[in-house]
Amino acid sequence: MENVLEVSALTGGYQRSRPVLHGVSFSVKPHEIVGLIGLNGAGKSTTIKHVLGLMEPHDGAVHIKGRTMDEDMEAYRSSLAYIPETPLLYEELTLWEHLELTAMAYGIDEKTFGERAEGLLKEFRMEKMVKWFPSHFSKGMRQKVMIMCAFLVNPDLYVADEPFVGLDPLGIRSFLDHMKEMKEKGCGILMSTHILATAEKYCDRFILLHEGRIVVQGTMEELRTQLDLPDADLDDIYVAVTEEGRHG
Amino acid sequence: MGNVQELWQKRRADYWEMAVRYLRLIANSGFLFTLYLLFIFGSYYYGEFLMWLPEDFPTVWVFIVLFTWLVTRGRVRTFVREADLVYLPPLESRMKPYFRSSILYSWMMETFWLALPLLVLAPLFFHRLSDSGALLLTILVMLSLLKLWNLASGFEEQRFQENSRVTGHTLIRTVLNVSAVTAMFTFQPVWILGGLAVLLAVLYAFYFNRLNRTHAVKWDRLARIEDSTVMTFYRIANSFTDVPRLKMSIRPRRYLNALLQAVPYRQKNTYLYMFSRSFVRSNDYFGIFVRLTLLGALFLYVVTLSWGLWLIGALFIYMTAIQLKTLRGHYKTSQMIDLYPVALRYRDEAHQKLVRVLLSFQVIVFMLFAGAVHNWNDGLIIGAAGFLLAFFYDRLSRKREVRTAGA
Repeated sequence: MENVLEVSALTGGYQRSRPVLHGVSFSVKPHEIVGLIGLNGAGKSTTIKHVLGLMEPHDGAVHIKGRTMDEDMEAYRSSLAYIPETPLLYEELTLWEHLELTAMAYGIDEKTFGERAEGLLKEFRMEKMVKWFPSHFSKGMRQKVMIMCAFLVNPDLYVADEPFVGLDPLGIRSFLDHMKEMKEKGCGILMSTHILATAEKYCDRFILLHEGRIVVQGTMEELRTQLDLPDADLDDIYVAVTEEGRHG
Repeated sequence: MGNVQELWQKRRADYWEMAVRYLRLIANSGFLFTLYLLFIFGSYYYGEFLMWLPEDFPTVWVFIVLFTWLVTRGRVRTFVREADLVYLPPLESRMKPYFRSSILYSWMMETFWLALPLLVLAPLFFHRLSDSGALLLTILVMLSLLKLWNLASGFEEQRFQENSRVTGHTLIRTVLNVSAVTAMFTFQPVWILGGLAVLLAVLYAFYFNRLNRTHAVKWDRLARIEDSTVMTFYRIANSFTDVPRLKMSIRPRRYLNALLQAVPYRQKNTYLYMFSRSFVRSNDYFGIFVRLTLLGALFLYVVTLSWGLWLIGALFIYMTAIQLKTLRGHYKTSQMIDLYPVALRYRDEAHQKLVRVLLSFQVIVFMLFAGAVHNWNDGLIIGAAGFLLAFFYDRLSRKREVRTAGA
């Protein structure tokens, strides 16, 4: 099956003279949640920015559904939804207007939008706040708005950057359930997080980034074999990999 | 942190460094020219206005209301920042010199803001109340002292936790200020003014000054007051140039929601959907638009010369166009908008469309107003010139922008 996301030999960063990523290659298939894991400053956010098409690769390429951003900007962007680490809301738009605007921008027809919006509002328990402005939202509610906007689009690829921060336990549960549902429908999901226990439970594969390079990637089993740590959980693997990086 | 006095000096210097940068930008902008023009028109009509003013116009009351407001309003500039909530409270007992400097500094600034309107109103004062310049100067000195009392007492007031108690005290000060200002402008004898001064001094020494024994400084309130002062400055500066640090304050203006519904649900309209809502609700684009429209109408009402009408009409439409241009950069810092699968050119098109609709509305208002008040010939000329400006303004300005970018 064709990969939803294909990152091949990507070298990139803000400055050409000082690349942050060095030859990073990985892919996300349909029906798959991939965890992007690494210390602060490992290059997770830079990787995500390249996937979103906000940065140009110095070398290598990023394909979503077989297309690069240059080939067809509108199709590339239509195929992905982004859940940022810090919620990015428009202070002058109500919750409902955030949803409506997102649906408009992604070309979703009005009827489908209405149905999906109703469902999401109910699921994330935000029905009462549809006319509120973001200044009245808590951190968790803001994050829920971002998550609802992403699910509203219903794209082939989801990119989530630390999506759990600030969410209440019920919110985390709704989010994860929804992720699973999308995965079963055939979406690919790339998720960066520090909450390793949750990642271990929900992700199918992992990419461990360290200092701009992929140290190991694969399923839990593959990671254990590669590192020769038969009973390790993701926490142990994470520590082992970063320790190794420090000494090496 | 060795010396709180040093900290205060540094904070003030930081503020002014920032302020001077913006003031220079404002001074260099074309807007100042329009201000000169309004000043010239204004001073001509000021004399006329004084002559026209009916005999029974309550001049004294204008002075009393205006200066009571000016004396009561205004807070102490403390330059306190949000981060200080963490670092400064432990030093509170040693902060006295810091706050004293703040009060004195605010006194200086506020005296200027008292002197300016008094100077502007001086002709009215001489015309109606008294022709003694010494008297006016004495009043200014007394007003300034009253301001000092208000700032010092107002600073102690902020120590109360409950907003209702702060408001209550402000009300008491307002009552005292009304009496004092009335006494000044009705030229009461010295013993009454002196008595009032003693009363205020006693009140400060035995009441306000003692609040600090039972109430600590409310740092978050100080930070909030300071923040809103700085934001006011930013908002003014933002009319002339781009102020990235301006936090947006939102006004829902729900009564305009029906108008916003005019943008149909379509992918192409994504940016128009955003721009129209930002215009109505944020950064006071809407407020400026309404004020310029009303002010323009007022000038069109007062001015009688034909060419003056044309000039005023065009001037206000031009100023509105400049203000609306800043809306284009409204989403510069937003990241989400860059992800939308809608071509970038639609963003500029949407902005242009909105500006044209708004300017056209203003042109029609001016045209009908000038036509109805004066004559329809002038109205039509304003209309024609206005529509030309509304539709070709952005073409002129874009060229200029490209040229500056290339230079």
